Amino acid sequence: MSETADYPVMAAPPAGHNAKKRPGRLQAKNVVLENIDKSFGSVRVVKDLNLSVGAGEFLVLLGPSGCGKTTALRMIAGLEEANEGKITIGDVDVTNTLPKYRDVAMVFQSYALYPHKTVAENIAFPLRARGIPKSERAGAIRTAAEQVHMQDYLDRYPRQLSGGQRQRVALARAIVRRPSVFLMDEPLSNLDAKLRGFMRAELKHLQHDLGVTMIYVTHDQIEAMTLAHRVVVMNHGVLQQIGTPREVYDQPRNLFVAGFMGAPPMNFIHGAIANNRFESHGVSLPLQGDTEPRKAVLGFRPEDALITETGRGLFDTTVYTAELTGDVTLVTISLGKASLAVKMPKDYDADYDTAVALTFPHAKGFLFDEATGERLKTELQTIT
Amino acid sequence: MAVSTIPASRTRGAGISEWFDRTSRHWFIWPAVIMILVFSLFPLIASLILAMSRIRLRAGGFNVRFVGFDNFEKQLFGSEQFHFLGTFSSISTLGWFVTIVIGLLLLYWIYAHLRRGNVWLPGMIGRLITAAMIFGLTLLFAATLLSGEQFGTLGVTLFYVGFGCGIQFVIGLGLAVVCAQPIRGRTFFRVVFFLPLMITPIGIGYAFRMLADTTKGPFSPVWQWFGLGDFAWAADPWAARIFIIIADSWQWIPFIFVILLAALENVPRDSVEAAHVDGASGWLIFREVTWPQIAPVAATVMLIRVIEAFKLVDLPNIMTSGGPGIATESMTLQAFFAWRAPDFGQSAAIAYLLLFVTVVLCVSFFNLVVMKRRAAEAI
Amino acid sequence: MSSIPLEPSGTTGLRRWTEPARIGEMSPLGSILTYTILIFWSLFVLFPLYWIVITSFKLPLDVNAGPVYLPFVDFTPNLHAWRDLLVTGLGETSKPYFNSIIVALFSTVFCVLIGSMAAYALARIEYRPKFATIILFVLSLIAVSVAIGVYGVDWRIAAAIAVALLVLLSRALSNHFQRRVGNGDILFWMISQRILPPVVVIIPIYMMFQQVRLLDTYAALILCYTVVNLPIVVWLMHDFFRSIPIDLEESAALDGASRFFIFFDIVLPLAKVGLAAVTLLVMILSWNEYILALFLTTTNAQTMPILVAGMNAGERGILWWTMCVVILIMILPVVLMALILQRFIARGVLLGAVKG
Repeated sequence: MSETADYPVMAAPPAGHNAKKRPGRLQAKNVVLENIDKSFGSVRVVKDLNLSVGAGEFLVLLGPSGCGKTTALRMIAGLEEANEGKITIGDVDVTNTLPKYRDVAMVFQSYALYPHKTVAENIAFPLRARGIPKSERAGAIRTAAEQVHMQDYLDRYPRQLSGGQRQRVALARAIVRRPSVFLMDEPLSNLDAKLRGFMRAELKHLQHDLGVTMIYVTHDQIEAMTLAHRVVVMNHGVLQQIGTPREVYDQPRNLFVAGFMGAPPMNFIHGAIANNRFESHGVSLPLQGDTEPRKAVLGFRPEDALITETGRGLFDTTVYTAELTGDVTLVTISLGKASLAVKMPKDYDADYDTAVALTFPHAKGFLFDEATGERLKTELQTIT
Repeated sequence: MAVSTIPASRTRGAGISEWFDRTSRHWFIWPAVIMILVFSLFPLIASLILAMSRIRLRAGGFNVRFVGFDNFEKQLFGSEQFHFLGTFSSISTLGWFVTIVIGLLLLYWIYAHLRRGNVWLPGMIGRLITAAMIFGLTLLFAATLLSGEQFGTLGVTLFYVGFGCGIQFVIGLGLAVVCAQPIRGRTFFRVVFFLPLMITPIGIGYAFRMLADTTKGPFSPVWQWFGLGDFAWAADPWAARIFIIIADSWQWIPFIFVILLAALENVPRDSVEAAHVDGASGWLIFREVTWPQIAPVAATVMLIRVIEAFKLVDLPNIMTSGGPGIATESMTLQAFFAWRAPDFGQSAAIAYLLLFVTVVLCVSFFNLVVMKRRAAEAI
Repeated sequence: MSSIPLEPSGTTGLRRWTEPARIGEMSPLGSILTYTILIFWSLFVLFPLYWIVITSFKLPLDVNAGPVYLPFVDFTPNLHAWRDLLVTGLGETSKPYFNSIIVALFSTVFCVLIGSMAAYALARIEYRPKFATIILFVLSLIAVSVAIGVYGVDWRIAAAIAVALLVLLSRALSNHFQRRVGNGDILFWMISQRILPPVVVIIPIYMMFQQVRLLDTYAALILCYTVVNLPIVVWLMHDFFRSIPIDLEESAALDGASRFFIFFDIVLPLAKVGLAAVTLLVMILSWNEYILALFLTTTNAQTMPILVAGMNAGERGILWWTMCVVILIMILPVVLMALILQRFIARGVLLGAVKG
């Protein structure tokens, strides 16, 4: 993992580095993808993907459905063949290797448990497939089951288990043969919201315990934020940004990343840069930095903005609705045809069509080129 | 992606089991392919050569002499014409009338297809072949059946296929619709209706001979009451044919019934319930909601039934031995008799004619009915 | 169509009969009609079976003197036909019965195994044979047949030359013709074999078996029945395998299982509903098969349908009572199996067939 890394590698050290040695730890390996290209028929689903995953790192591939993240994962697993490029695992070229020799384990979205086998038999399957004698299997099954707290359910069939329990069995089946790379394809998306939060924490802890390399695919940005050492945001088969969750959230490289992260996502005001100002419907703000005239988009996060009295903010507008969500009040305001979301303290309330003003710290405003979507080196000028 | 594209290993692995795994794609398919090649494709080709030959048995083998289309000519135009096609005389007015009507309908069908635009050449050729075949068969029936003449084994086979399958479909569908109602004892009826399929056709043939006996059979009092005590159904061509169809239906209606019942039970309840809520009558619901959903299955099951009906041989052989005369002889039976004669060349020629008719009609049915039904479902 | 009944049903005269009293029930008239039809058809189905059963217990006198219907009322049941067949005539019946069992059993096992392997392969592995190679193969088959049949060349020499030529020519041609066929085409080809009337292929098969001295043996019948029923197995099992989530197999492949291991350990157990139904269907078809056995057997490998068909030939006419016993002992194993697998039939083969 060296020659392809033209971006800051390992902004955060893998959790394995400072964790003390534990008996359950596995031998982690690094994974490198170089210039990977994949097409199904005439549809190019992954375009020139370069990626370097450190040993013991938890990497999350994030993107909307159809962005190529699952295909990328399946190519690492060996379930799809890359049209172009090279994949190495643990510094060994595995581009043309059968999946079973890649030393990777995968947890599928559907868990892929064998319905005709008990939990114990399911966990035993990878060992059996590798011809490990029965006497050695029992101990390994028990250890794996204990690691996911399923040791009391070994004789059950998958249909007798709840969704969360099935998830654990799938995990145990992946752990049992001690792979060096874990692949997960939206493993939590079939669980209900409460269980998902719980399993997320367990997964994170398990990865920390095992110290294994984990590549995790999801479309849920909260999962990505909470689990990842680094997040890879993909769209239309193209890598959009790679970095720590904080980097990706606070310094989005382009409109797509900015709009994908956050709930609700970043607010956008479409307008143009002219005369060193950002001009839009009822908005005119002074700029500094690169102020070449062009169509541009101003973005800011709902939690960074504040609603104040008219005339005291960056621009004036009216309230569309205010919704109490529990911890905050989500205020939607309309600006021309666009609507913008603002998170206000939970005791804030405003009636429909109240005239208000909106403000946010100048450093929290981002400007993007409307045509290319790229972030501009332009900032809002401080106004006081 | 239904077909996974797990790439072949080019780097690691050794040993016999590894070799088996890497070549598994061949081990899975070749046994079936080889079996079909040896016992189906090769005989199919060899049979064509036999059909163009005169074969003499000699000690330990055969003498084969190539005679071209002589065997076919004999069946279609020569001394066996009466046997295969039927006896021809002048076509009656009714015959001409039916021929012309069918001919015009076929012309209109082709015309309507042409008018719809974007004609695909192979499809057009297929349609023309279908139309030619239907017209030829219409002419055959016009010249024999409708002109009061005896028709041959081709006519008999088509009668079994067309009339027999038609009746079986109507009754099978009716029973399935009835059974799909909320009735009690559905399992019982399902089992009972399925029983005939288990019985060897030979046994059915004999059982129906027994039942039809006008002096010793269970219905003999009825026959006698009608004054038909000495009526021998096996001596009357139409009675014999109908009787074979009844026996055939007795066996095959269950097959159609069970599959259509499964299809009916698969129709989503909410679409029927929505129609109920809209106040539609039972018949309207069936025609507008249920039938379109089971039509693809119905078309498929009828294709299967038609394919099997073309092969009908055991019932005529057991019940009537093809008699009276040749009135109930199916083409397979005719080929069997020719083989026993022994005249392998004629037998193969008859078999090939049967294959030709079967393939043209079944492929037409598949392309024009089954595929259309499926396409309609897909939309 | 605006006459949607607004008043509750069951109040006025005629409507009481034509409308259901409750949702999910039939109207009284409808239910009378329905049950009449069902009972009538049950009688139609059951009566021939009933007649076979009672005839098997009749004395020749009871049969020949005209119809008698009710045992113990019209006539006294007698076991003579059963005794004749199962005690005195045991040697004569047991041989074909045994033959039938052997042939049906082995051909079913082969057919289901080979057929489901092919069906699985076509459902999951991509095959892209070259069109040119296939055409070449068929042409060489024709050439071989002509050489053997018309010019009397020894079949071993002809086959060897054909294989050599095929290999050479396919290498040479494959660079020029790139058209390929896919899994769907292979599947269609296999299924379409069922259209072939057996009588078309039986004469060359008869001659083939004569050449290798396999006429009137188990092997001949087992091989033929296997091929004849392959299309059914391939067709129905293909649908079944496709309905199994591919995740399971991919997960197993990642875990280090080979294709064979996956097939026998994961796929077949999951398809056992379909497998049972297909097995039953193929078994019934082999058990009852008539025309191929008629061509290929004479004495040694004769099966039950041939025995039954041959019972016509006696001098005393048909011995109906014996015939009925034979039909019954032939039905027995099939009905037993069918009753055991009834659940599978309803859910299994039919749904497979339904999906087409």
